[in-house]
Amino acid sequence: MSTKLNTSRRKMLKGMGVASVGTVGAFFGPWQHNRMYASAADKPIKIGITSDASGQYANSGASDRRGMMMAINEANANGGVLGRQIVAQHIDTETTPATGSRVAERLITREECGFLIGAVSSGVANAISQVAQKYGCIYLNTNSSSPTESGKNKHRVKFVWDGNGRNFAQAAVKNAVNAYGTKWLLLTNDYVWGHNTSNATRSLVDQFGGEIIDEIMVPQGTRDFSSFLLKVQQAAPEVVAAAVGGDDQKAMRQQVAQLGLGSKMAWINNQQDWPDIYGLPIENLFGVFGTTWYYKLDLPGVAEFVERYQAAYPETRMKVPGNVFYNGYVATKSLLNAIEAAGSTNNIMIIKQLEGLKVSAQDRMQHHDAWINPKTHQMQQTIYLATANAGTEDPDDVFSVVSQSAPTDVADMKAEEEGQLESYEDTPTFDA
Amino acid sequence: MELINNLLPHLVNGLSLGLLFALIAIGFMLIVGVMELINLAHGSLFALGAYVAMAIINPDLAWLGAMGAWYTELPLTARYIVGLAFAPALIAIVGFGIEICMRRTYGKDPLYGLLLTFGVALVIEELIRIIWGSGEQIMPTPDAIGGAFLFGGMIYSKYRFFSAGFATAVIIAVWLFLQKTPYGAIIKAGAHDSEMVRALGINLTLLRLFVFGFGASLAAIAGIVLTPIWGLRPHVGVDVVVPAFLIIVLGGIGSFWGAVIASLLVGLTVGVTGAYASEWSLMSMYLLLIAVVTFRARGLFGKKSVLEA
Repeated sequence: MSTKLNTSRRKMLKGMGVASVGTVGAFFGPWQHNRMYASAADKPIKIGITSDASGQYANSGASDRRGMMMAINEANANGGVLGRQIVAQHIDTETTPATGSRVAERLITREECGFLIGAVSSGVANAISQVAQKYGCIYLNTNSSSPTESGKNKHRVKFVWDGNGRNFAQAAVKNAVNAYGTKWLLLTNDYVWGHNTSNATRSLVDQFGGEIIDEIMVPQGTRDFSSFLLKVQQAAPEVVAAAVGGDDQKAMRQQVAQLGLGSKMAWINNQQDWPDIYGLPIENLFGVFGTTWYYKLDLPGVAEFVERYQAAYPETRMKVPGNVFYNGYVATKSLLNAIEAAGSTNNIMIIKQLEGLKVSAQDRMQHHDAWINPKTHQMQQTIYLATANAGTEDPDDVFSVVSQSAPTDVADMKAEEEGQLESYEDTPTFDA
Repeated sequence: MELINNLLPHLVNGLSLGLLFALIAIGFMLIVGVMELINLAHGSLFALGAYVAMAIINPDLAWLGAMGAWYTELPLTARYIVGLAFAPALIAIVGFGIEICMRRTYGKDPLYGLLLTFGVALVIEELIRIIWGSGEQIMPTPDAIGGAFLFGGMIYSKYRFFSAGFATAVIIAVWLFLQKTPYGAIIKAGAHDSEMVRALGINLTLLRLFVFGFGASLAAIAGIVLTPIWGLRPHVGVDVVVPAFLIIVLGGIGSFWGAVIASLLVGLTVGVTGAYASEWSLMSMYLLLIAVVTFRARGLFGKKSVLEA
């Protein structure tokens, strides 16, 4: 027995047409600003981790990731956020901006991550944040330090957790001009972070009466610094301000140490990431450099934090946490706290929470209270200057912190004037 | 006069850099010349050689008791020499293994060989991460070749001059081997016409095995010599493959002296550009290649192809 369908070819085509228009409209219609997925209370909150596992910043990326994961694991152990567990998904951004864009697009659209966290390279962070802004996805730039990240490349969805080149330069330059001399030479990594950091140093050196006698641009990926170091010797500066990062910096440190140049002139290394120097001989750690945190700060909570790190990562070669891990941890923890405080996973509500974020010095394990500048979305925090801990017996205790500056003393005032945050209305809204 | 005084250190530095590039390139050149294979694992063998040497120089031999203590108490110079001798030999064995895996790709699309060596490169890099971790390591060197010396008002690294001298010695030794021994003659003949070598009754399988192992051991030597300058990390080999490939194309594929002279040219170009237009220092080697290949497609010393006849 057969049943004849009571429909015609014309009706069927009409139906298919309506269905097609409906489907397309769901993606491209006026609903694009109101994406909603995975918002059921029993579903986990998905966080996309956008850190480098290969390329120039692979090592720092691993440290950054460990920090995020410790914060997530601790939150899950305490019952999650808003009663929901947190699930993290990592894809390697390969220290490459193009990969960063692709990874961000995939994590947001295919993996349905409601938040993105992680960056060491400013170029990658900028690429990720452009994609994140397109979808309204909150993005935490944990560890990249180009002033452009909270300056001309700022976005409503992006929050920058690390100190930037201008913060570190302000902490270092005035004292260095007075203590070491006025003839400065800039050694600059030839990419966005290097350029912006060097510009910041240049203007501060001018401001405090110094003179830039030369600037040597170091292409990214340089392994042989011999010709640059010969040129440095020929120029005979009193101070060398180096903004060289990642593997380039490791190679440079090794070659400067081989020549003994570290003690022949004063070296100011804008920022020194812990994974870049961990395990190196102390003679490779010359000059003065900036950091946002050190595991031996004599402050409440620091020792206990180090113990938690060691319990969480007993097998890690880095026996103590550094600034990159710290930034990854505090950024993630602050985001989770902001979601809890907002009482919602709505991105705009969480953005507003983060824009008003204030963290006590005790909670930050730093010397001064910290806060997010709502105009730049950068964390205003204590900046430390350190040098090598000469004569130490402890292979981990290689920094000697020489000064600490309050956030107001090292604030990046130019960032507020550069670029503009998108309005809330222009930022797509959704519940994660 | 002032210009010469300023330029001279950079010329010397460029030549020393060129010798180091030559050390990287000759093992790569041998494999390309004889086997017509671009060995993308060359950089990983470079890194593995350095890691193995580091493990030989500074081993953890507590489990061996008195014997282990005896070895670790040897002077660093002695352990360094042991590392420099044995690590390349061990990497040659790894090279034998890779060549055996390669055999199924011979006579097929060259892409298979390329992909296989690319896969091997990834495997070796991951193995290094698993065994030694992903952090920066230090290749120990004897005090006698460490530190710096002052000459003409400039500070130079002793190790850099040692490494350039060592590279020169290796280049000469490889040339003598290829030029003055019957084995070298077979390798050269194999590079020229491998089928004719087989027709003459020479075991081509063994020749390829030997050449791959020899090329791998040269990569390891380059790794041991260069990592005290460049630093030692699992992906350090990535920095090696591109210059090595560029140099053999520039010098002419299969030409020993072409590779050496191209290395010196690249070293001089990078060194001098680094001094006077630093942002172009890495780019300069590619511009040099473009300039040469535009006018001489087979490279400086490449043999004339039948297509050009």
